[in-house]
Amino acid sequence: MVDTRPFLPVSSHAGSDPTGPSENRRKPMKLQLSIFFVLLTVGFFAALLTSNNGSDNGFVKENEHGSLASPSSEKQLRPVSRGPAVGVSEKSNRLFAKDNENQLAYPWNNSMLSWQRTAFHFQPEKNWMNDPNGPLFYKGWYHFFYQYNPHAAVWGDIVWGHAVSKDLIHWLHLPLAMVADQWYDKNGVWTGSATILPDGKVVMLYTGSTTENVQVQNLAYPADHSDPLLINWVKYSGNPVLVPPPGILDKDFRDPTTAWLTSEGKWRITIGSKINKTGVALVYDTKDFINYELLDGILHAVPGTGMWECVDFFPVSKTEENGLDTSVNGPSVKHVVKASLDDDRHDYYSIGTYHEKNGTWIPDEPKIDVGIGLRYDYGIYYAAKTFYDQNKNRRVLWGWIGESDSEAADMQKGWASVQSIPRTILFDKKTGTHLLQWPVEEIESLRLKSYEFNQVKVQAGSVVPLDVGPATQLDIIAEFEIDNEALEKTTGSNVTFSCSSSGGTVERGALGPFGLLVLADDSLSEQTPVYFYIAKGSDGKLKTFFCNDQSRSSVASDVNKQIYGNLVPVLEGEKLSLRVLVDHSIVESFAQGGRTVITSRVYPTKAIYGAAKLFLFNNATEASVSASLRIWQMNSAFIRPYPNDKESQ
Amino acid sequence: MNNTISFALLHLAFCFTLVSFTPISALELHGTGANMVETTCQKTPFYNLCVSALKSDPRSSGANVAGLAQIGTDKLKAKATATLRQITALLKVAKDPKLKMALRDCADYYNAIVKYDIPVAVEAVTKGDPKFGVEGATDAANEADACGRGFKNEPKFPIYASNKVVHDLSAVVASIVQLLL
Repeated sequence: MVDTRPFLPVSSHAGSDPTGPSENRRKPMKLQLSIFFVLLTVGFFAALLTSNNGSDNGFVKENEHGSLASPSSEKQLRPVSRGPAVGVSEKSNRLFAKDNENQLAYPWNNSMLSWQRTAFHFQPEKNWMNDPNGPLFYKGWYHFFYQYNPHAAVWGDIVWGHAVSKDLIHWLHLPLAMVADQWYDKNGVWTGSATILPDGKVVMLYTGSTTENVQVQNLAYPADHSDPLLINWVKYSGNPVLVPPPGILDKDFRDPTTAWLTSEGKWRITIGSKINKTGVALVYDTKDFINYELLDGILHAVPGTGMWECVDFFPVSKTEENGLDTSVNGPSVKHVVKASLDDDRHDYYSIGTYHEKNGTWIPDEPKIDVGIGLRYDYGIYYAAKTFYDQNKNRRVLWGWIGESDSEAADMQKGWASVQSIPRTILFDKKTGTHLLQWPVEEIESLRLKSYEFNQVKVQAGSVVPLDVGPATQLDIIAEFEIDNEALEKTTGSNVTFSCSSSGGTVERGALGPFGLLVLADDSLSEQTPVYFYIAKGSDGKLKTFFCNDQSRSSVASDVNKQIYGNLVPVLEGEKLSLRVLVDHSIVESFAQGGRTVITSRVYPTKAIYGAAKLFLFNNATEASVSASLRIWQMNSAFIRPYPNDKESQ
Repeated sequence: MNNTISFALLHLAFCFTLVSFTPISALELHGTGANMVETTCQKTPFYNLCVSALKSDPRSSGANVAGLAQIGTDKLKAKATATLRQITALLKVAKDPKLKMALRDCADYYNAIVKYDIPVAVEAVTKGDPKFGVEGATDAANEADACGRGFKNEPKFPIYASNKVVHDLSAVVASIVQLLL
């Protein structure tokens, strides 16, 4: 008999059959069937609900190739060029077309391109470089290793380059330290860090990309510990020592840190990764650098920050003006967690407290946690790594500075990327929230002729040339005082300011912009302003911004024209201070003793060689400014291959 | 027995009703061939080009995002290489000096795309450091753009169509690789 009743919606007594009294005889079987179908429906409903939630609740679909959990996630609906509106500074998300519809990619000639090479920043003789690796001081030499492509001026075929120096400034190139000659690093000898053991021996942990494209950690050590140049390296025969743990994808496991000692006498390292869109730092303990135990917890995680590359973890003294060995801990010590965010190509740090017992770290201010707060540098700066320099009792920071011109120009000139001048890192006692970075003092050995300017008055809306001779290799220290009356008289407003969304130096405020014009030609057709902009809020409070404006740095259309910068805390009684290192196509600028730092790559076509000049400028509408400066011509560091004749330095 | 059958039918009907009223995203689940292509392409600036390029390769059914990125890069490589060949052929017969200059510039840009941008993107995706892949693909789009701008004042732009495909496909590949970050 066919049931002609219409299909019923879900009833609260699912499974009951509304037909007649005959059901009584069949009740047990019907009950079983009913339960079965109820379970089926519930199960189906449950399946629909869980799949609806998408990527955020840990439903990970994995296969050998490390696939994504789910294609849907609100962050992913991004157009290719995020561009200036979101303050994206590096090459990776820019399409040049927007700015210059009518201009060709610039016809770079050899003169312009060869000028771009730096005189005192570390760079190999040619080809591509990226992350700094395993920096250390050993037997009288500073060692620097780096990601290098021996074949081209673009990323690829990565191996470890190597150079040594007595003073972190004058570098001598050595042969490649490690190449891709094992199955576990055949597809890339990637980033790693050095640990110096109590007996003075060195171990290196680094990431290898295997023949199956899995990211693993490997152990290497010097072939001859008595060789101060550490030329030859041996890879541990039992590599890899670490493979991606459960829950971590094959391509999200790289860049092991320097190890530090725990109170139990074990070595501890951290490795960055991600779980869905949460950046994490995994923790491992080891006694021999060969066998590891993964801690149950993680060092720290911040949702929404994506993959954490090149994680760094180190102590800073709250009271002393020196660096601390990575294993130091105690009440007068704070710990810094730093991560390079894959998603936006910036390096972020946060200061907090390390809880040794369970291997966790908590930020002092969650609002400026890792990845959502302070950056080492507001320009082009990535994959940074520190090391404890036991030679001079300081913590030194290296950072990779990529190019912001086109890859075609990089190919034409045959090289790409430089390293920043190494910087010392100190806890900023005055703010308590910032780190201070400052170029290592050894750079002063490059200073040649100096020029001094005292209390130069720069009226609102004016430009003052500074005659210092050639202006492509300079060390500038400057102090600015702004007219007090203007500071007080100016009416505050609610308008928020940010360097990246401003109109650059043509956007005039009452109290800014003012500062220096570097790599500028006489007619100012090309200029790179490094400047302050003071904004007064409607509550009368002053906020100081520190910016680099690249919008008119070059007439070429195929270079980055963004404006970099950020707020810089200026405390009561502090003058505005600035240090700028100009070295051809790189400008490193430090505000308030290194509280806010900006590195830019600049590619002028006219403001090069003898035509490059230096100016003071003040484009504020109300305030006049007076500046005192000391400027040095800088010598070359003559970075070259280690001399073949075996003379000791 | 009849009651059991109607019971079963009722539940089946209920389930199907649920299915038909469920929003599309629930059906996406975690990639079922064609769906993965469509949902991935929705995140690129040129949906139709993306779908046709990926689907023209049989590997696209059942591919994950990394697989689709690789397919996209392969397609881009083929298209860019073909366009470069086109440019070289045109250069041989071109008489007008301005046209020749524009074509020569394009040959340079396309050399950069084929020799550097695409190999970098391929390596970055296979080895798992996708940020370099985004950079390579974005640069390829910029090179194609630069090539096109050289023809702005020219009466004819013989490689207009292929150049546009290379540009747009580069932008598509950059978006797909971005998803791997």
